[in-house]
Amino acid sequence: MAVTNWIDHLNKPAEEVVGAVYPGAGSSEGLLVILAIILWVGWHVLTGRSESQELERLSRKRHGANDYKSNITDW
Amino acid sequence: MTDQLAALTTIFTEFYYWVTVVLMFLIHVGFCMYEVGASRYKHHQHTLMKNTMLIPLVTVTWFLFGWWIYWAFPTGPGLAPSIMNESTALITDDSAFSATWYTATSELMAINLGDHISGVFWAAFLLFSWTAASIVSGAIIERITTFAFGILAIAIGSVFWVIDAAWGWHFDGWMLKLLGYHDAYASGVIHAIAGGFALGVLMVLGPRIGKFSSSGEPRNIGPRNPWLVTIGLFLIYTGFWGFYAACNIPIFDLGPEYGMEGISYWTATNIYVTPTTLSGITFNFLMSLSGGLLAGYWIAKGDPFWTYSSGLAGIICASAGNDLYHPIQAMIIGMIGVVISYKLHYWVERKFKIDDAVGAVAVHGYAGFIGLVICGFVLNGYPSSGYSVGAMWDGTTYATINPLGQFLGALIMFVVLGLIPGYIIAKVLNGMGKLRIPREAEIAGLDYEIMETAKDDEKAVASATR
Repeated sequence: MAVTNWIDHLNKPAEEVVGAVYPGAGSSEGLLVILAIILWVGWHVLTGRSESQELERLSRKRHGANDYKSNITDW
Repeated sequence: MTDQLAALTTIFTEFYYWVTVVLMFLIHVGFCMYEVGASRYKHHQHTLMKNTMLIPLVTVTWFLFGWWIYWAFPTGPGLAPSIMNESTALITDDSAFSATWYTATSELMAINLGDHISGVFWAAFLLFSWTAASIVSGAIIERITTFAFGILAIAIGSVFWVIDAAWGWHFDGWMLKLLGYHDAYASGVIHAIAGGFALGVLMVLGPRIGKFSSSGEPRNIGPRNPWLVTIGLFLIYTGFWGFYAACNIPIFDLGPEYGMEGISYWTATNIYVTPTTLSGITFNFLMSLSGGLLAGYWIAKGDPFWTYSSGLAGIICASAGNDLYHPIQAMIIGMIGVVISYKLHYWVERKFKIDDAVGAVAVHGYAGFIGLVICGFVLNGYPSSGYSVGAMWDGTTYATINPLGQFLGALIMFVVLGLIPGYIIAKVLNGMGKLRIPREAEIAGLDYEIMETAKDDEKAVASATR
């Protein structure tokens, strides 16, 4: 439960004092988990797609096995 | 100490802070490695020395006056009365926690058998000071003089960040009372101010030679050594555990502290002496780190440099409210902070030709600012303190956490105590001709003579027969 005054909160019965204090405690956990799953799945979709595009672009250029050596920087 | 339980609590608390200092040392090791990894070969040794020498410069000034500022300035002065002495003046009288306890001549600033806390608490805050200065250090590599950086490091490390800590972190701070400011793990108190200060310096210092083309297009000057950057950032993550722990009081009885007769409630608290748990902040630390890494990997298309930095930015963005957030809230807030900070970094670079070599303004400044603002919405209505609850602008009570107060707090951190002082001090140093290294030295490399001497030595040793 949300806390609005710590003195009032600590004056509550012991079992309430030691409960959850995050915003939306007791009512928002399900929604938060659904959001987390959506973000988690979305992340896989987006990064998977981005990686495929990058790899396709690289493959199309048909570089040789030693071509990367000319790209080593020496800042 | 004659009572065994009191002795145990005291010695535990003393040891707890001592361990946080050891852990936080890794932040500085990490920053040194990270900066050297990001700098080019010809600047390595000067880059390392610049960041290393802030240790003694900030430590000595922190002993002489930095710690005193923290205890003297919670009232502004003149903005809200102290709950210790009901005065709005600097707290330098005989009241409890007065700054007079922490002048350089005080007996508490030494080995004192009656005080087990001052030294370790002083050191924990000192390590925060190093971090603030080190954040600035990374942004300005390869073209600032060590002299100028020393002045800037003292300014941010022993003056400006500690003023904001007195205002927005101290249990008696005026920002808690007037604004309802809440920043449990320093989104603003360390990160937004240091990022803003770095931006102010960068505006005067200018970019590295070659950073922008003649048409103004930014060029990427990538890290010389990605492995040093990797280890450096992992060490910063590791040290951050100590940072979080140091922002807490490990064991405290809040009943008597809040004046509640007959109530005893032992708990860990945050810096504001309101309850939290180490267990809870462990959830939030790791989930905000994960949110930052996920968002950074996506937005930067797998670029390691930005992905690692984004992990840090995720934690920094969620830090303001990580004493109270749900872990998934912390993760989402970390993600939001990273995406906005990343976009802002490149927009500012392109638009204003700001060359922030390690993205410090974004990772610390923008992420910290955004984290403070989000905290105002998510924790809207929570008390900013346990001592009392009142309305905004009242000053004699503590306002509750709210969006406007957090936004104003973010502006105070980033702009008022960060960007403006950084800009002014850099301007003065520039006017004295002390800010930037000569163009020729920058092109040759700060380490040119060291490397030339080493080469001569190498030749001499190689040709020696005895």
